[in-house]
Amino acid sequence: MIAELWLGTLRDVAVNAVPTIIVACGLTLVVVTREIDISVGSAMGVLATVLGLLVSPARFGMSLWVGIAAVLVLGAVIGLVNGALVVWGKVPSIIVTLGTLTALQGVNALLLHGEQITQLPSALRYLGVGRIAGIPVSLYLTAIVVIGTMLLATRTALGRRLYAVGSQPDAARLAGLSEVRLKLFVFAFTGVLVGVATLASVSQIAVIEPNLGRGFELVVVTAVLVGGTSIHGGRGSVVGAAIAAIVLEGVRTTLILLRLGESATYWERAIQGAFILIAVLIDLLVRSRRATVRRA
Amino acid sequence: MSASAPVVNGATSRDLVAQPSWWARLAPYRHEMALAVLLVVLFVAAAIVSPSFLDLTTQRALLSHDWELAMLTLPMMLIILTGGIDLSVGATMALASVVFGLAFTRTGSVGVAVAAALGTGVVCGGLNGLCITRFKVHPLIVTLATLSAYRGIAEGMSLGQSVSGFPASFSQIATMTVAGIPLLGGLYLIFALMLAFKLARTPVGAWLVAMGYNETAARFAAVRVDRLKVALYTYSGLMAGAAAIFFAARRNTAKADVGMGMELDVITAVVLGGTSIFGGRGTVIGTVLGFLLLHESREWMSWAFDYDELNLILVGVLLIASVLLQRVLSGRSGRRA
Repeated sequence: MIAELWLGTLRDVAVNAVPTIIVACGLTLVVVTREIDISVGSAMGVLATVLGLLVSPARFGMSLWVGIAAVLVLGAVIGLVNGALVVWGKVPSIIVTLGTLTALQGVNALLLHGEQITQLPSALRYLGVGRIAGIPVSLYLTAIVVIGTMLLATRTALGRRLYAVGSQPDAARLAGLSEVRLKLFVFAFTGVLVGVATLASVSQIAVIEPNLGRGFELVVVTAVLVGGTSIHGGRGSVVGAAIAAIVLEGVRTTLILLRLGESATYWERAIQGAFILIAVLIDLLVRSRRATVRRA
Repeated sequence: MSASAPVVNGATSRDLVAQPSWWARLAPYRHEMALAVLLVVLFVAAAIVSPSFLDLTTQRALLSHDWELAMLTLPMMLIILTGGIDLSVGATMALASVVFGLAFTRTGSVGVAVAAALGTGVVCGGLNGLCITRFKVHPLIVTLATLSAYRGIAEGMSLGQSVSGFPASFSQIATMTVAGIPLLGGLYLIFALMLAFKLARTPVGAWLVAMGYNETAARFAAVRVDRLKVALYTYSGLMAGAAAIFFAARRNTAKADVGMGMELDVITAVVLGGTSIFGGRGTVIGTVLGFLLLHESREWMSWAFDYDELNLILVGVLLIASVLLQRVLSGRSGRRA
């Protein structure tokens, strides 16, 4: 009975962490190449709105497949625009994605007009509440994304190149690697994953509202940094980010379960910030220890 | 003001040796001139489409919305000039605002509340500076973390409640005018002039530019880089505290969602004003023009088209476009590490 309860809670935590885990996989690769993408939250908002407008019977009422395809393609386009401005415009990624973060928020507000989208097709709900062999469908999806990205990062030439560009850009260039193509790839890849995460997160909720995805970028960045990815590039683990996302969600759930009252939820963001600081300090300690070892 | 200091900003030693014509002497300031032209174009367009927008009373009323933003651009310009960034200004403003409100309800004294808000700003900014210099963590990461932390603490302390009911004698500083000039606008001008003087005519100004241009070289030249950085972030925090006080006076409220997204507006204004995001270049006049351009185009957009959503898109596009524009104007290719 207790074990069942415990497993149930763990499952809920994992399901709630699904969007964070999926996007964190992509963002890990972005950070590995020494860039950053903080537009993921706004992008998710826009993609959710587009999905809602396309498939809701109250709006355009198109087929769910059209909606899914549109979300994935649009996600890739947003990522490519970010990437293009970074590699060809030579604008730092923090500025580019800070700009697209705001611009996309505006686009979302323009599309939604302060309304909500309800009446989502029930087929979409399957992804959120459906189960195969007792395990939620969204967890299978997440497992595929995590394992796929992990294999990509550790077992393919492409993955090794990403780490090479991140750890020694000059050496990578001399070795004939195309920084432009690799960076365009990671931004587009993250965009597609934001699309996947949007599908997973919209399927869990019944309503699409203007605030969806707001502040999501901070959660994802926290997960990536806590997961052991170095902000200086060249080092990072997809699985680490996934575990960190679950731990962060676990902390949140624990805060709720402890019944500290309503005040606990107000402290959530402060705890999130503390986590990033701790992660950065650990990264710092690891780096300085390595430096000492190398010198010795 | 800065126009008379060719050595400090942007000009190279070659410009000095060659005894340049007046046109060549202005060349380092082409970004500022481009901004001035854009501002004039905007005013002309506004004059044709909606003449009432240019009314002096309207302009003064609209400017009163943005004095907090204007104040925050000054320290942000210095921070970006030295190659850093401060994403936590909005959150610091929120925390200072909540502390202001709590101090006022506990003591009933506006003076205590003002001191508490300014103190909060100084502590928040100083903490940023210490984390950046002691732990050698990139300012972007430090202030991204403190952005959540400060706003989170503000939310936790206030539990989502707002404080209002400040005395009228306090609220009137938002509307007070001295010789026809709004008090806050006048303060902003004084700060800007002082900063321009400091940047162009004192060693500190030269050190800051040197730091932004090449931090390692500045260290070798015995510039106390770390101390200056802590001072800059503390200054930024102090101004955020002041902005929280102005906001409380203007809107008669203090709560945890004050200054939400403010960091983006501030950074956009500064970068639009020609301060290089890579450090080493930035002028006060450019920052003032950048602020005005952002403010006027945003207000005019709302005034003429009644679409507030467009403002967000405008800010985002302006931010990216201004960095692109800088690269085109300066002709500098590639990124400097």
